[in-house]
Amino acid sequence: MQPLRFSFSDLIAGYVTYFDRAKACFGLQTSHGHDYDVYLTNNTYGQIVRNLGWPWHTANLGEMLSSGQYLYVYGIYYPQGDDYRFEAKSFVFPGTTPDTYNHEEPDWWINQIQAIADHYMHWQFDYPNQPIDYANYRTILHLAGGKKGDFLQETDTISRLVYGLSSAYLLTGKDYFLDAAEKGTEYLRRHMRFYDADEDLIYWYHGIQVMGKREQKLLTSEFGDDHDSIPAYEQIYALAGPIQTFRATGDPRILHDAEKTIELFDKFYIDREQGGYFSHLDPITLDPRADSLGNNRARKNWNSVGDHAPAYLINLWLATGEQKYADFLEYTFDTIVRHFPDYENSPFVQERFYEDWSHDTTWGWQQNRAVVGHNLKIAWNLMRMHSLKPKEDYVALARKIAELMPSVGSDQQRGGWYDVVERLLDEGEEIHRFVWHDRKAWWQQEQAILAYLILHGVLKDGSYQKHAREAASFYNAFQLDHDDGGVYFNVLANGLPYLMGNERLKGSHSMSGYHSMELCYLAAVYTNLLITKQPMDLHFRPRPDANRVLRVQPDILPPGSVRLESVTIDGQAYQNFDAEGLSVTLPESDTPLRVKVRLVPMPVMG
Amino acid sequence: MEIQTQQVDAIEVVTVQGDIDSKTAPAFQEALLPFYASNDDLVLNMSQVTFMSSAGLRVLLSVYRQASQASTRLVLVGLSEELQDTMSATGFLEHFETYTTLDEGIAAIKQKA
Repeated sequence: MQPLRFSFSDLIAGYVTYFDRAKACFGLQTSHGHDYDVYLTNNTYGQIVRNLGWPWHTANLGEMLSSGQYLYVYGIYYPQGDDYRFEAKSFVFPGTTPDTYNHEEPDWWINQIQAIADHYMHWQFDYPNQPIDYANYRTILHLAGGKKGDFLQETDTISRLVYGLSSAYLLTGKDYFLDAAEKGTEYLRRHMRFYDADEDLIYWYHGIQVMGKREQKLLTSEFGDDHDSIPAYEQIYALAGPIQTFRATGDPRILHDAEKTIELFDKFYIDREQGGYFSHLDPITLDPRADSLGNNRARKNWNSVGDHAPAYLINLWLATGEQKYADFLEYTFDTIVRHFPDYENSPFVQERFYEDWSHDTTWGWQQNRAVVGHNLKIAWNLMRMHSLKPKEDYVALARKIAELMPSVGSDQQRGGWYDVVERLLDEGEEIHRFVWHDRKAWWQQEQAILAYLILHGVLKDGSYQKHAREAASFYNAFQLDHDDGGVYFNVLANGLPYLMGNERLKGSHSMSGYHSMELCYLAAVYTNLLITKQPMDLHFRPRPDANRVLRVQPDILPPGSVRLESVTIDGQAYQNFDAEGLSVTLPESDTPLRVKVRLVPMPVMG
Repeated sequence: MEIQTQQVDAIEVVTVQGDIDSKTAPAFQEALLPFYASNDDLVLNMSQVTFMSSAGLRVLLSVYRQASQASTRLVLVGLSEELQDTMSATGFLEHFETYTTLDEGIAAIKQKA
């Protein structure tokens, strides 16, 4: 093939190696070690990364191009001789010096969650102009938050928004976030919950179709992947928001709903002979092996086996400390460790299985393809579990994923993480093929950030710190929508927002404020308490009927890594707490209590 | 469980007798399948149903959804107090069109036809 002889624009992410002022040129080395000479022009400009709601902050290029500085430069390649000359047009700097990353500031993620949550409150409920009313909730939101006129309210997207709003409350203590989360939880209970009196368990409708004051309940999924079935995925995510709310309020009705939904998993989804959980049930017989399920008959997948943990189960354990939930978690992760690795064939885990755990490489869109973020999600959650029940297998698999993924799942030229790729290379191929595109979805970035943050936070490995910084820098540089609020669904490989079709939306079946706010909550926890060692405040509002032992552990962290330093209740200092056990013994009260706790990292890990 | 179908004044009527439980629910659903395809309005006479489990409720939801998608009407008649309580407890009784007697159900469909 002849060399390309045309100009084109692109992004480079890398570390400054030299700066020659006289030539207006500097060296840039990418994450995977490729060197570039980058030329400045009279019109080159730069900014320092800014959080949502922050003003533009111009970068002083002359001062900031110091050796070791990480940056993004967007520019144009011009053919010149036998090579190309890259001329810079614009920069984004993640911090003002090589050692500072703005997203590691103690309140960065807290400010971000407040901004995102405020936007969703405005978009969905016109808050504070109108009272919070979930009858007005709509799944589809335009780029700028406007409603599109759809009338479907999906259970799991409402639950996901509730999760985000509860998380926003835990970090900020703003009552209106928790008010909205509690109303959303109540709405789910009243409209989306099916109590099966015969089996004494609960399952959740797919959603409701709202038609004026009438509503049509939809028991089975409306989506092509899961049509006419009850997918485990939807039942799992129905619990996400309520359980995060339960952490803050201790509402015993939520616990009851969760217990009865878990009984559904343990009675109908579980495979007691060969292990794991089936992915779909027939809606009439609740049989995972019903012929009516078609290509979902007797199948297991990442969602049905693994998504329990991040969606609700870890949070349920954090809130209750119940051994049975720790056991469920252990079962989940042991199942993943046993069945998902497939490293003799692919650097990616296997995600879909038949009943006997043989590999299903024919299912729907997935075929023999990998979701990069699912690999990272496994690594992240294995590291959480390792702090609850340490196992070498957990750490080994997390490390394996962390070491393999950058070269096969990330863009080491421009930064950021890809979406869905082929698990196998064909003959002559050097890069795993992108199934649909080389765009970068917000939630995949989240998985990378959290995986490498917790890996570094627990294992103190500089390479994990590098990947965490690079992933978080990309997300904050390109995924935030400074014009309309919230985050972009997808950006192009070069970081520019992709605003077509569903990927233009701020609310959809895929996006409702969950991943963006989950990221803020946990990135704040891991960064402050495990990495930069900063104190952190969390907020709770236990109800009068809540258990009087309030557990305030922010996430599953290494034992002894965090201590509860102080507590206030309704603004007054309060002493009845267990500093090492991370719990507060609450006084009896006829009204909800506002509990603020200060957590401090311990200098030496236990 | 037994199922009888008939036409009354050119309106399809399905009458169910006995228990609708996890064993009989698949047959209940199977018997109703032809009516989804035919796009006919349907009166479901439940006056001789002695018991309906959650599996039966799930069939009703499925039937209701199919009828909505086909823009046909589904009318339930003869719901016992116990059945009404069961449906009410699960939160979807109010979303069905219900009448006390078969004649009322047929009249309602004819009136709005």
